[in-house]
Amino acid sequence: MAKQYDVLFRLLLLGDSGVGKTCLLCRFTDNEFHPSHISTIGVDFKMKTVVIDGIKVRIQIWDTAGQERYQTITKQYYRRAQGIFLVYDITSERSFQHIMKWASDVDEYAPDKVQKILVGNKSDEVDKRQVATEQGVKLAKAYGMDFFETSAFTNHNITESFTRLAEQVLAANKKDLDLLRMSVNDELNLTALEEEEGLCDSGTGDQGKGCWC
Amino acid sequence: MDQSVAIQETLEREENCTIVSFFCSHALVYGLLIPEKKDCLFETKIFIYNHRRMAITGDDVSLEDIIPISLDFAVVEVFCVVCLILGADTRVRVSYCEEELELRLPFGSHSRCFLTEVNRAWSGRSSLRVISLAPASTTVGKLNQHRKTGLLSDFYFVEINRHSSYSGISSREDRDDLVRSSSHTPSNKAQILTMPQFGLRDTLIRCELLKNEESYTYLENFSFFLGTYNVNGQSPKESLRPWLSCTLNPPDMYCVGFQELDLSKEAFFFNDTPKELEWTKAVSEALHADAKYALVKIVRLVGIMLIFFVKKEHAEFISEVEAETVGTGIMGRMGNKGAVAIRFCFHNSDICVVNSHFAAHIEEYERRNQDYKDICSRLQFRQLDPTQPPLTIMKHNVVLWIGDLNYRISDLDVDNVKELISNKDFETLHTYDQLKRQIDKEAVFDGFLEGDIDFQPTYKYDTGSDNWDTSEKCRVPAWCDRILWKGKNIEQKHYHSHMALKTSDHKPVSSMLIVGRINGEAYKKTFEDIVRNIDKMENECIPSVSLSQREFDFKDVKFMQHKAQTLSLFNDGQVPCQFEFIQKPNEPTYCKPWLTANPYKGFIAQGGSVDIELEIFVNRTTAPELNFGKQMIEDILVLHLERGKDYFISVTGNYLPSCYGTPINLLCQLREPIQDMTQETLRKLVSIVLNTEKPLDIPKELWMMVDHLFRNAIKQEDIFQQPGLRSELAEIRDCLDTGMPDSLPGSNHSVAEALLLFLDSLPEPVVPYHFYQQCLESCSNASQCEKVISMLPQCHQNVFNYLAAFLRELLKNSASNRLDVNILATIFASLLLRSPMKQDFAEKRKTQEFFQHFLIQGSS
Ligand SMILES: Nc1nc2c(ncn2[C@@H]2O[C@H](COP(=O)(O)OP(=O)(O)O)[C@@H](O)[C@H]2O)c(=O)[nH]1
Ligand SMILES: [Mg+2]
Repeated sequence: MAKQYDVLFRLLLLGDSGVGKTCLLCRFTDNEFHPSHISTIGVDFKMKTVVIDGIKVRIQIWDTAGQERYQTITKQYYRRAQGIFLVYDITSERSFQHIMKWASDVDEYAPDKVQKILVGNKSDEVDKRQVATEQGVKLAKAYGMDFFETSAFTNHNITESFTRLAEQVLAANKKDLDLLRMSVNDELNLTALEEEEGLCDSGTGDQGKGCWC
Repeated sequence: MDQSVAIQETLEREENCTIVSFFCSHALVYGLLIPEKKDCLFETKIFIYNHRRMAITGDDVSLEDIIPISLDFAVVEVFCVVCLILGADTRVRVSYCEEELELRLPFGSHSRCFLTEVNRAWSGRSSLRVISLAPASTTVGKLNQHRKTGLLSDFYFVEINRHSSYSGISSREDRDDLVRSSSHTPSNKAQILTMPQFGLRDTLIRCELLKNEESYTYLENFSFFLGTYNVNGQSPKESLRPWLSCTLNPPDMYCVGFQELDLSKEAFFFNDTPKELEWTKAVSEALHADAKYALVKIVRLVGIMLIFFVKKEHAEFISEVEAETVGTGIMGRMGNKGAVAIRFCFHNSDICVVNSHFAAHIEEYERRNQDYKDICSRLQFRQLDPTQPPLTIMKHNVVLWIGDLNYRISDLDVDNVKELISNKDFETLHTYDQLKRQIDKEAVFDGFLEGDIDFQPTYKYDTGSDNWDTSEKCRVPAWCDRILWKGKNIEQKHYHSHMALKTSDHKPVSSMLIVGRINGEAYKKTFEDIVRNIDKMENECIPSVSLSQREFDFKDVKFMQHKAQTLSLFNDGQVPCQFEFIQKPNEPTYCKPWLTANPYKGFIAQGGSVDIELEIFVNRTTAPELNFGKQMIEDILVLHLERGKDYFISVTGNYLPSCYGTPINLLCQLREPIQDMTQETLRKLVSIVLNTEKPLDIPKELWMMVDHLFRNAIKQEDIFQQPGLRSELAEIRDCLDTGMPDSLPGSNHSVAEALLLFLDSLPEPVVPYHFYQQCLESCSNASQCEKVISMLPQCHQNVFNYLAAFLRELLKNSASNRLDVNILATIFASLLLRSPMKQDFAEKRKTQEFFQHFLIQGSS
């Protein structure tokens, strides 16, 4: 229990303004839902620790401003993500169509190894649905992504979708992870590992300058 | 700037010290010096220097004081609300002997490093105070002389707020001032300055985790029945119930061990015996009748066997069951002696049960110790994951060890032993027990516990009876059969022998151990709770500020009009934070050149706030692009909090195009005031040169200014030398940009300055850049100069000649306006003939020479 986590990585929430990215994040990290929409202007993040496959994973989840005018700036954050949620709102056809644009931005700016997942939020709003589940499934298939319909409001599929993306990121980084696993039992290596964590942390710390590199 | 060189130069050679750290503050440089040699006469000291300018050589600095970091030395941080909010300076109070002084350290790594080193030196300080012992030739000695003259005190008073309680110089007010700004007194020397703990959050989280672990988890008890029986090669002849069902309640687990199950050669060589089944059957028939048990595992090495039963309801929580054996018999390998062991995972605990049979014979106790060690090192369970190192006995949370350990009673003859037994003085007898003695000597079973022995020795009896061995060997009775354990939260309920069983020359022994175990579900839940709490705490600890405004609309912005708006940051987070506007990709600075944020970085204490001025100022460099909509007053600033989020702040405004910053050729095409044109028209004018109408000879704005001056200021004293008024300049600019009044507002001086500004702000000077070199080359020859001018684009040429003519008119009136050729050439050459690069003095002279040709009366 002395060690807080074994690995740290970053996930990024992308999608039009108002699709519910901030709500998804709040629901996942604090299990809370605030119905008011204060649009995110900037880049915010929260931490969450999950245990996957016996490995304590600390996830830093970045919530970005969805508005068009900030996108040249927010794109610069893509390259520091290991996993990306592409979020649309099932009650907004427009937000679904924009997924294409978001996905192509991700291709352009995010690292090659980045893991993606498609999320159709607000699944509780049955009466206002504009995007059929099948459309989401189809699009996800076309992109080779996993797909979840979620509701930050009812807490539907929230943990599932976050866990899935985290698992995918873990799998994509399996090589590094296997090394880590091997050293888990070895007390000497643990300290070495903790130093590495320190490095990870300082990586978070000096976003100041590291931000655009 | 590294001023340490300068400091080094001031030091005498023999002082041999290293400058560890230094920093500058106000007029003083502070250096921390440590001796290179461990010279007790030279402890670490802070040297304080006064410096004349940026110290480059030793001459630039003079030593003002030395503070030895001795026992009398203390540094405390001066906490005051004001400086925390400003964030800029760290204030510390240094005291030594009866003196104290307050330092303001500029915020930054230099100062932090300095304080760290001071702190380190203090921890390793020597108790000697040597300042007065130092030889006079050294720097220290010089200072002492200096000090006697009393030159220092006054200086310090002004510069660094020095207080000297014995000098009596400090006035009452000064004292109060200092007291007000500090909540600490330096007398408390324990309050040594500590560095800002940026890692504190992590430590806190970790502590919380450990603290909560205890209170959140709870123990659940499980009973382990442990039994060991050396059966001397016999088959079961009687029920084992008196042994295995001796408890009131059914145990949760049974771990039953046998030794000498089969003494036959077959068993020894082929490890094959019918006895295994016989005894297993006997055991299962004798288990407690009030519960159902499942057989989990049997492991046997020749005659050493261990059987593990678990109550049915617990079976699902048993996992990772492995069994191993180790022979320690003849040749250190054979299985007549040795151990068998079963490991398993029960809920979250790893448990290992060992049944061993050590070497026999009273004198062989060291051999038995050796057996123990061999078993511990050689018995290894394989891991499910082949990449992991094998698991040894001692890596388990709980180790239960049973068996015929064969330790005897020594140094006491048979009769004495039997007497102690018949007196039931087991306590005394136990002091002669080899196992106890060896454990006390830490020679074996390190870390294991055994309960008090309150039963008579279990060895050696005549088979079928309770009588002590009557054979001719007539062995001394001994507690061969033992049960020990290792691990947390284990309690022994009973430790018995069972006289009723008579099959063997040993009596069986049993013990009930209550093993406290972290409840699996509770453990998991607790773990999750803690992790959630940490996450929550951590998320709360992410620096956060609230912004008074996210969008700043500066509305109409005019050329050289200073506009400012205030952005207030309030630290609404749980931690102090550092903010900074950070650079965006592909941009050289954090904002557009016409914008500044002041301060652009800083520190905000928790609950504190900072006002940032966002200032817009469009000058001649930034105006041209804005005039024609190539650029807009539009920017997004990224405000970054260290270890925290980024905020986007958008700045917008509407730039009103101006004749200032607009090229001459374009102005010549504008018949209307520039602000009456649409952005669209302006943009078109730039891209495709609209030649619909004949352009004006010179820009009308220029004409308006010059004409105004010609009519009103031709005799004005000090014209072009006296500055105008800011407000009037703005009025003139607006007037030129919006209309064509008959006369311009403002004084003559303002109009004159407006004209100079106009020329200065032209993106392409009157003499375009690419003619500049030619001008320099022809400057000494008047006709050459005229030739160059005749090659200028028509409108530029017009402007040049028009201005020159006007200036010549001015010179005609030099008696009243006190102008001369030199003055005008100096002023105007620098505006009309601008260098594309940095201009040196010689070039400047040439441009003036060039222009003078045009100011001489009678020329063109
Ligand atoms: N019914 C419903 N409303 C949601 C859900 N998630 C978000 N919202 C609402 O959608 C609006 C925008 O959410 P927000 O998280 O601020 O969107 P963002 O701009 O993508 O961060 C808010 O008013 C939320 O209350 C959801 O799952 N169901
Ligand atoms: Mg948002």
